Formats: sequence, structure tokens, C-alpha cells
Amino acid sequence: MITKNAPRFTLADWLPKLVMAPTVVVTLVCMYGYMIWTGVLSLTNSRMLPSYDFVGLSQYERLFNNDRWLVALANLGLFGGLFIGICLCLGVILAIFLDQKIRNEGAIRTIYLYPMAISFIVTGTAWKWLLNPTNGLEKMMIDLGFEQFTFDWLVNPDKVVYCLVIAAVWQASGFIMALFLAGLRGVDGDLIKAAQLDGAGTFTTYRRIVLPSLKPVFFSALVILAHIAIKSFDLVAALTNGGPGYSSDLPANFMYAHTFTRSQIGLGSASAIVMLGCVLAILIPYLYSELRGQRHD
Amino acid sequence: MTNVSLSTRPQKSMVATSLRIALYTVLLSVAALYLLPFAIMLITSLKDVEEIRTGTLLSLPSTLDFSAWGKAWSSACTGSTCDGIAPFFTNSFQIVVPAVIISTVLGALNGYVLSMWKFRGSEIFFAALLIGCFIPFQVILLPMARTLGWLGIANTTSGLVFVHVVYGIAFTTLFFRNFYQAIPSELVKAARLDGAGFFTIFRRIILPLSTPIIVVTIIWQFTQIWNDFLFGVAFSGFDTQPVTVALNNLVNTSFGGKEYNVDMAAAIMAALPTLIVYVLAGKYFVRGLTAGAVKG
Amino acid sequence: MASLVIDNVKKRYGNTSVLKGIDIAIEAGEFLILVGPSGCGKSTLMNAIAGLEDVTEGRILIDDQDVTFSSPKDRDIAMVFQSYALYPNMTVAENIAFGLEMRKVPKTEREQEVQRVAELLQISHLLNRKPSQLSGGQRQRVAMGRALARRPQLYLFDEPLSNLDAKLRVEMRTEIKKLHQKLKTTIVYVTHDQIEAMTLADRIAVMKDGEVQQLGTPQEIYDNPANLFVAGFMGSPAMNFIPAKVIESGNTIMLELTTNTIETPTTINTIETPTRLPFPNAESLQSHIGKEVLLGLRPEMITEPQPHKAGLEFTVNSHVNVDVVEPMGADTMMITRIGNNEVNCRCHPSYNMVVGATCEVMFDTSKAVAFDIESGQRLD
Repeated sequence: MITKNAPRFTLADWLPKLVMAPTVVVTLVCMYGYMIWTGVLSLTNSRMLPSYDFVGLSQYERLFNNDRWLVALANLGLFGGLFIGICLCLGVILAIFLDQKIRNEGAIRTIYLYPMAISFIVTGTAWKWLLNPTNGLEKMMIDLGFEQFTFDWLVNPDKVVYCLVIAAVWQASGFIMALFLAGLRGVDGDLIKAAQLDGAGTFTTYRRIVLPSLKPVFFSALVILAHIAIKSFDLVAALTNGGPGYSSDLPANFMYAHTFTRSQIGLGSASAIVMLGCVLAILIPYLYSELRGQRHD
Repeated sequence: MTNVSLSTRPQKSMVATSLRIALYTVLLSVAALYLLPFAIMLITSLKDVEEIRTGTLLSLPSTLDFSAWGKAWSSACTGSTCDGIAPFFTNSFQIVVPAVIISTVLGALNGYVLSMWKFRGSEIFFAALLIGCFIPFQVILLPMARTLGWLGIANTTSGLVFVHVVYGIAFTTLFFRNFYQAIPSELVKAARLDGAGFFTIFRRIILPLSTPIIVVTIIWQFTQIWNDFLFGVAFSGFDTQPVTVALNNLVNTSFGGKEYNVDMAAAIMAALPTLIVYVLAGKYFVRGLTAGAVKG
Repeated sequence: MASLVIDNVKKRYGNTSVLKGIDIAIEAGEFLILVGPSGCGKSTLMNAIAGLEDVTEGRILIDDQDVTFSSPKDRDIAMVFQSYALYPNMTVAENIAFGLEMRKVPKTEREQEVQRVAELLQISHLLNRKPSQLSGGQRQRVAMGRALARRPQLYLFDEPLSNLDAKLRVEMRTEIKKLHQKLKTTIVYVTHDQIEAMTLADRIAVMKDGEVQQLGTPQEIYDNPANLFVAGFMGSPAMNFIPAKVIESGNTIMLELTTNTIETPTTINTIETPTRLPFPNAESLQSHIGKEVLLGLRPEMITEPQPHKAGLEFTVNSHVNVDVVEPMGADTMMITRIGNNEVNCRCHPSYNMVVGATCEVMFDTSKAVAFDIESGQRLD
């Protein structure tokens, strides 16, 4: 008595798929489809309007011969490196400090984190005022008696990227602190008791037991920060608008300028694809290790 | 590190006490540094232009002058019009409210399917969606601009709502899916045996358990969309600009002398809705950020 | 109440077969227990019966109706889950009434039914509480109440007692037995606790690797396990497996084993004493004369010498080395070693056993079974 079961075709069985359908369509079209579309445009000589005259990789060639793009890429390296490094260090240290049974911990944590609730545009506007050479920090320090104090980073092409770093760190470091603090709270208390019974002091316990167990949090934070850095557009727009000249451009601003205001859609698309490549270069190893980790559990 | 502190020991030595004082000093100084920019914004917004030029960042205003706030709200120039940021405030709300509602509802349903009604390929789709959380939006800007044109909703509020929904679903789905994943699937099995269908189970069993994640998602989406600049600047028409774009225009519009007090007042106003949400529901805000991050 | 027929049910996920053709028929009012180690497919089978998972092949009939393709709600089945799966947002009363509400039973009837069930399970005072306000035992009762309220044709219990502490588990076990006797319901009950299986079941199906190893009454399974797996799985401590040689002595077939090794202090020689045991079903060993088999003997059949049994047909006394002594109150478990296998002997607590020395025990082989060493199947 063998009966092969035919799949049932009732509405009830299709309901879950039906509910998911809009999201599936939108994701496939508006994420993956558009990615491909932009990829195709990057191979054409589109200028003000998309055209489909394929020119091979010559837009990429132009891109990497474009001084402004190279500046933007170099800025991204500098900005991203400093931003990520400082945020991580500050985040870990502040999280450990806050984890010492601090009175009013909640209030302090709230203060550290509030910049994350604010738009990068607001952050940029605020720091533009704080760092401006005529009435800002420089004047304050001179009035306080530091006659020689000069602070012209915002208008100095060699230093302007550091202004971006300062503002971005102010905005995001509290969030990284919160991530690490959550990680610290998740460390098994018995582990720490065991380490202390084994004779480890506070410092050793952190260095040898606690911090290594925060490795997953560390990688998550790294990916998030890298992602923020690569996407950074609004902060530059508000704080420096890419200037002086194009000395503080980031790839996102380059892409926007060329695609929407300079009628260089082909070149803009090529830069977008390079940005995507950067994100994937960070994301894929991360996802790979995450998935592999899950399989081991 | 529940219940276990690394630093507090029964005996309090001089060293321990001074370490503790140093610790608090550091923590409070850092807190002051975080607060300072906002404090300066506030102080600046309450001064008049003359005082700004003569005083320093931290010098307090001699009289509380709210005229900069009034100007920022209703008469400052943002590009070609001079109606303040008030109309754009309205725009932002018109974009944020429907976009948050739609993306949250879709996220909840998607999360419900992806955790309780898995089907062949649903896990792969979820992974594809996750990657979508991370793609730099520059990659989709131009095609999306063309699509909005074809759909006839370019430069409209509906267009921006559409864009925010499309690129918000990945996050809302992730939130709900991870939350529902922790609900035992036996609940759904029991309800199915009791005779409940797909939507009944969602409405009667799952939704009543979802309050925390709904709050987290709404707060997350609200701050994301309110604070957005890229989509706003790329896809809005002049009448439909969100407040972030207007603020940027206001700050970069240079008619005559720079009015930093107006800039700061406008910036604070643009930040206020998300700040209020943060102060009122900070716990959920943090949870949203960490859920998106740690789980992502 | 309804009968249930599981007809050659198979379930595959990709290339892995979880159920490899299950055939079980249960009469109306019968209490069937599925036991087996984790991963044996018992939970998959439950889900298949409930309609929560589709089967790859085969048929499921409830009361002679083919329900293989029916959705769960049309099968009229209630299930009690290990985690209880109480709806956290509803009160106890709402939990119990939910299934009735879904079936559009009028409100007054629902309330009456909730009252009836609550009284039956003595949870009337809990009706307005939320599940989170209940103890583990109370939740368990509510979960049963929810199943009972609908008066379904068939009940499925998926390890309903595993989350309770030992004492409560025994209490609830008795309670479930009473309920079954009173309501005469058809029940399929999954457990990994073989005492639960023995005490509750009308019949037990022992599963392993997606196959039913044996289906029978608890006593059949206990006394005549079909193979080494079933013999080892049911009973605690497990049945002893003693390597023994089949010999023909005179015209009777006997089993010969070496029970102890005495190391005498004076000589370095060891003396091995072979023991010969009679076997009740001697013909079954005919084909294995001269070969080794595994003698299956329950611990309670190896005891201190009991005068009232002395000289009976199937009792033989012998000496064994005492390795470990585990007092358990009512009995004392003595562990020795025969061949390479540990052997549990259930002795009287007052019997004098000294670790390291030898003592005399009585083998009672009246219920002994023998297994083929290669195939693991019982010889008969």
C-alpha cells in the first residue's frame, strides 16, 4: 500500500508565501536588480541620461585616473581607519569603566549615547560652528589666555578630514560603548569567579578572560563602523560640503556629485560599484565567519 | 557580568578609593565632552548675532533671546524661500508616519513567516535580505530615481515613503524575525491544532506578545527615516524636502552675514523629535541598535 | 473516541530518512506509548499524525477516514506539548476555550466546558490567571485541560511530563492514568522515560532510527524484547547481557559462563569456575550449539540465594566477585563482571556483600532470553 502524496494546493498553504511575496519582489528588484542595473550603467558612457553604449571598463579607468576620486578614496582610508580605531578603543574603555558598579550608570550611559539619536546633518551643523576658525574653538582658547592657539583644521585641506573624524567619533562612540557594555554584561559570571579563584587580578581577568570573549561584539562593531564610514555622505555634506575644494570628499559624495549634479552617470555608477565592492569585502568574510560559527554551535 | 564585580573588594584601601575617584572623574569628564556640543548649540541659539561675534562659545547670553528660534521656525531662508523650517517639519512627519507604519507592519508579517512558517528557500531569502541591510545606498540611487519617475511619484512625499519602506523592510524584518525566533514554535502548532489559521494565529497569539519589538522597530524606523538625508536630497522635490535637507540648505544659504544662532536653533529643532523619543524610550532605542547590530 | 491507523508512513528530508515505513494500528480507547532515544523519529511521527508535517509516503487514517492530506484543524486532534505551549497573553480560561472559540462554539457552551474541565483537573481557582503566574505542575494541568476541552477524537502527548520535577512527575503520571481509565480516550504518548511507558501504556512501540523495533504490551516488551536494543532500552537498570556458550550436556542444552575469577593469595594461579545455567526455551538455542550467545537476564533474576526457590528447575547458585555495592533502599544493587560485561544483581539490603570479595548469588533463568551476538535479535 504505497501512496505518493501529491502536494496540497490550498489557500492556507500558500498564505505565508503570498504574504512574503511583496517583500521578495521588492528585494529582488529594488536591491539586487538595481545593483545589477547600476553595474550595467557603469559599463556605459551614460552622461546626463542613462544610455546603453557599452564602453567596457573605461569608466573605471577614468575613475582611477580621476584626482578627485583618488582624494576621496584616500580620505575614506584615513577617515575610516581613525574613526573605526578611535571608536573601538573609546568604546571598550568606556564600557569597562562603566561596568564597575557605577552609581547613576543609567544617566551616564544615556549621555554617552544621545548623539546617536541625532541626524548627521545636525551633528555636522553643530561641529561646523564649534570648529569654525573665527568664532569657534580657536577664539575661545585665545580668550581663555592661550594667545598662540590656532585651530584652522576646518579650512585646512590637509587637516579637514580630522574634523570629520572628530564629529563622527562624537556621534558613534557612545553606541559602540553600548554594544561592548551589553557584551560585558553577557559574559558568564562563573567564568570571572573561576578566573579570580585561579588568582587572576582585575587587569588580567579583563585582558585574558573578558576581552577575548567579546570578540564577536568586536567584529560586529567593526562591521557597523566600516559600514557607516563607507556610507558617510550627510556628515560631509553638512560639515565641510567636501571642501576646501574637494579635499574632504568621501566616495559617497563623489558618487552623488557625479551622478546627480555633474551629469556623469557612467562615472558615478562606477564609483558606486567600487563602494559596493568595499562593503562586500568587509561583509562577506564577516557573514562567512558568522555562519560557520553558527554551524559549530 | 551579573553580580560579579571585578573592582569592589571588602577592604577599602586608600588606593582603591583614589582609583574610584579617578574613575568617576574620567567618566564625568567624558560625559561633559559629549554634552558640550549640544550645550553650546543651545547657548548659541539664545544669543544675538552681536554677542556671538564678541563672545566665545561658552559665554552665556546676557539676555535670553528667542528671536533666533522664531526666525529658524518661520522666516529663515532655506534655499529660494524664506519660510523657516516649519513647512519641512511637516514634510518630514508626512514622510515618517506612513513609512514607519507600513514598514513595521510588513516587517512583522515577514518576521512571522520567516520564523514560524518557513518554506523551501525562506532561509536563503532571509540571508539575501540581510545583505540588503548593508548595501551602500549609492548603488541603488539612480535606478530608484528612474523608477520613481516612471511610477509618477518622483519628487513627491509618496515617493519618499515608498523608498523608505523598500529599504526599511530589511531591518524591520530582521528585528521581528529574530524576536519571533525566540518564541517557541509549539505555540503555533498548538494554535493550528486548536483550529486557528495563519492570520488568526498572528493576531491572537503572536501580536499580543510583540509589544516590545514593535516599540523597538518603530523607534528605530522613526529615527532612521527622520534623520535621513541621502534619500531626501536625492528624491524630494522642493516642496517635499524633509527637514534635514532644509536644515542643510538653511545653513549653507549665505545671504548677508552668517546667523549662527538661527542655524543652531534650526538644528536643535530638527534634532528634537528623535531626541525626545530617545529620552522617553531610550531603553528601547538601545535595544533596537544592539539588536540590529549584535544579531545582524 | 477513534481508532488510528498509521500505514507505511515514510518521511524524508532531502536524502535523510527520518521515518522508514511505520505501521501501527491503534484501537479506539487505546493508550499507545512511543519510546525511543532522541532522534529516533518519534516526534516527527507525532507531527505527522497531527498534520503539522506532511508525510513523504503512506497514509494516516483516523476512525477509518483518510486524513493524510487534511490540515491539522480538520483532524480533530488535541496535543499536549512538552513546553505546554500555553498562550502567554491569555488567561487559563481563555487558553482552554481557545480551541472551542476557533470552532465557533457559542460562548455559554464554552464557559460550561471550561468549568467542566477545570473541575476535572482541579484548576478552577486558576482560571483567571495568566500562564506566567502558574507553577510547572499547574501549567501542565492547564495544558491537559486545553486538550480535554475540545473532546477531540485523538490525544497526542509529546513528553508532557519531562519538564516536571521527579515527585510531581510521578503524581501527574498517576493522574493521567486515572483520566484515561475514566474517559477512555485514544492516546498516543511520546516519552523517553521507560517507567512512564511501562506504567501508562496499553501497548508500547519502541522506535529507533525511524523504525518500530517492537510493538507490544509493556509486559511483552519487558519479558520478551525483540532484540538487544529493546532489551537494553526498557528497564532500569537495564537488562544484563552476559556472554555465554551454548553447550549440550547430556540431552539438555545449557548455557555455560564463567562467573568469577578467584585470585588466591598463596598461589599466583587463578581459578576459573564455569557455571552452567539451564534455559527455558532450550530448543531455540539448538542452532547455536557450540557458539557464543548473549544471555539476557534482568537484574532482579540474579539475587542472593533464596531458600524458597532453591532446587527449582531454573535456579543455579554460583559465586561472583563483588565490584561495587549500591544501596537503593528497598534493594541493594551489586555490580560484578562476567566476561567483559558489567552485570547488575538486585539483592536484599541485609545480604552481606564485601567489595573485593566474592559472594554467592542465585541465577534464576526462568525468564531468561538469549540474543544472537551478530544480529542482536532474540533467539526463539
